[in-house]
Amino acid sequence: MEPRTSLRLRGWRNAGVSVGMVVPAVLVYVALLVVPVGYAFYYSFTEYNGFPTRVPEFIGLENYQTVFSSDDMTGTMVTTGVIAVIGALVVNLAALGLALLLQKPNRFNTFGRVVMFYPHVLSALVVGFLWQAILGPQGVVNTMLEKVGSDSLPFLSDPNWALWSMIFVIAWALFGVQLILYLAGLQAVSTDLLEAARIDGASRWQTFRSVTWPSLAPTVTAAIITSGISLLKTYDVVVSLTGGGPAGSTKTLAYQILAVSFPERDIGVASAQAVLLILAAAVLAITVLVIRRRAENDAESIG
Amino acid sequence: MKTTANSPAVARVTFLSVVCVGMLLPMYLLVVNTFKSQQEILANPFTINFDTATFEHLANAWTNPDFNILKGYAITLALVAGVNALSIGVCAPAAYVLARTPKALSRVILFFFIAGMFIPTQVILVPVIFVLRSLGLMGTLPGLILFMTATTVPFTLFVFYGYIRMLPRALDEAAAIDGAGKLYTLWRIILPLMRPIIATVFILNSLSVWNDFASPQMILGPGSGIYTVTTGVYAAVGQYSTDYTKVFPTLLLAVIPILAIFIVMQRHVMSGLAAGAVKG
Repeated sequence: MEPRTSLRLRGWRNAGVSVGMVVPAVLVYVALLVVPVGYAFYYSFTEYNGFPTRVPEFIGLENYQTVFSSDDMTGTMVTTGVIAVIGALVVNLAALGLALLLQKPNRFNTFGRVVMFYPHVLSALVVGFLWQAILGPQGVVNTMLEKVGSDSLPFLSDPNWALWSMIFVIAWALFGVQLILYLAGLQAVSTDLLEAARIDGASRWQTFRSVTWPSLAPTVTAAIITSGISLLKTYDVVVSLTGGGPAGSTKTLAYQILAVSFPERDIGVASAQAVLLILAAAVLAITVLVIRRRAENDAESIG
Repeated sequence: MKTTANSPAVARVTFLSVVCVGMLLPMYLLVVNTFKSQQEILANPFTINFDTATFEHLANAWTNPDFNILKGYAITLALVAGVNALSIGVCAPAAYVLARTPKALSRVILFFFIAGMFIPTQVILVPVIFVLRSLGLMGTLPGLILFMTATTVPFTLFVFYGYIRMLPRALDEAAAIDGAGKLYTLWRIILPLMRPIIATVFILNSLSVWNDFASPQMILGPGSGIYTVTTGVYAAVGQYSTDYTKVFPTLLLAVIPILAIFIVMQRHVMSGLAAGAVKG
């Protein structure tokens, strides 16, 4: 055998091994994540009840019309949007503010970080049940209010209150994660620059505005995207805290898909709703990335 | 003795202490009310009277016929182990190959995977059910493990890719000169160096698998009779959410293992999360 062919043979074999090492990951990912997304798009244009004996029937955009013309379903989209936007705002403001207060590594601050982070290791379902026992009509808070002779408060039983109660509970459980992200980001802020600002006599706010905040930008982007996407798919807390009520005021899109459209065997509508949520997540991620890119370009052109 | 207590510092500590109390109070309520009767809970939710405290409700929750909690732990642990083994097993070789092929193709493949990080996974469960059904895996533990693995693949692969890129190529070149193949190099040289990042990925993926409710609820379903900790809690508490002698003990049993692990490993969990975020 000539040396050249043996080399080529070895090259082919190496390439074969390389492909073989990538394929399993591709297979799992494609079969159970990419294909289902494809199916969601496909089913969203069909009428289908999910029975294996029936073939999905193409009906164009009818499912999307259904979704947008029903007040109930547009309501779930508004609720989801409010949770994502207000929730992300509350979570990130709380996390950033507390990260600034907990920056210095000492025992008290370490304790504070652990205490603020721990709800993240509990499942959202458990958090919801726990807060239901606290805020519910017969819950801990209302029991105490009645004891001191005050009227009970409808945290979870009034449609105007329930959504805000739910956002509070989600923020309580979620902000610890973003807190850790901001603490990691703050560690990366250049101590030289902070020192220079101090020598120049900058106030705390000035230092934050022109030194800390610009170097935190990548962290802020990551924190907003991750919290926004996890808020968009809010489901577990709805199940355990409110069950979507009262009067559907806390129904999110994910809850509508899994607890209403799917059990009603309305696969077409469930898929249309899934597609809308996937698009919303994509728009959110792209928007934040574009804003960030633009801010970076501006910063470069100034400095 | 120096009195350095200036008022901003006092305000800071006071404020942080109030926040800490707000974070811990639900856990305190969960613990004290586990050992009380319904009347006592409704009369005095904040205090515990040690003379009337009882383990009766905790024992009832432990032996609940709706939800065998020990079996729930076992199944959830099997799930965590299965998903981690499969996810790390398929992602490490793929990330290694991609990190060592500086071609346009590897970039495209990586981007294709990263896009998966932005898919809200709960939302595609309905089509996932049809895919699993056609594979004959619907309602089974392997089906659930396969789907959960798929949801962890984008993050795992991305983080591994970033880490392997930082390892010097000279390492694999030396191995190649010695005649080692790609798999052998990965197994003997790259994987041992990846220990810290594998630990990070293991912790983060384990947390998300342990706490997931939607996937086991939809894929296993009540018909399969297989309950994880979360779906079991839902089965045990869901319809009885005003019977606090069921709610508090069941929730306590559900959170004790994960909280215990967290308290022991909190430094690793939190630094792992920060590291994952910086890489992500």
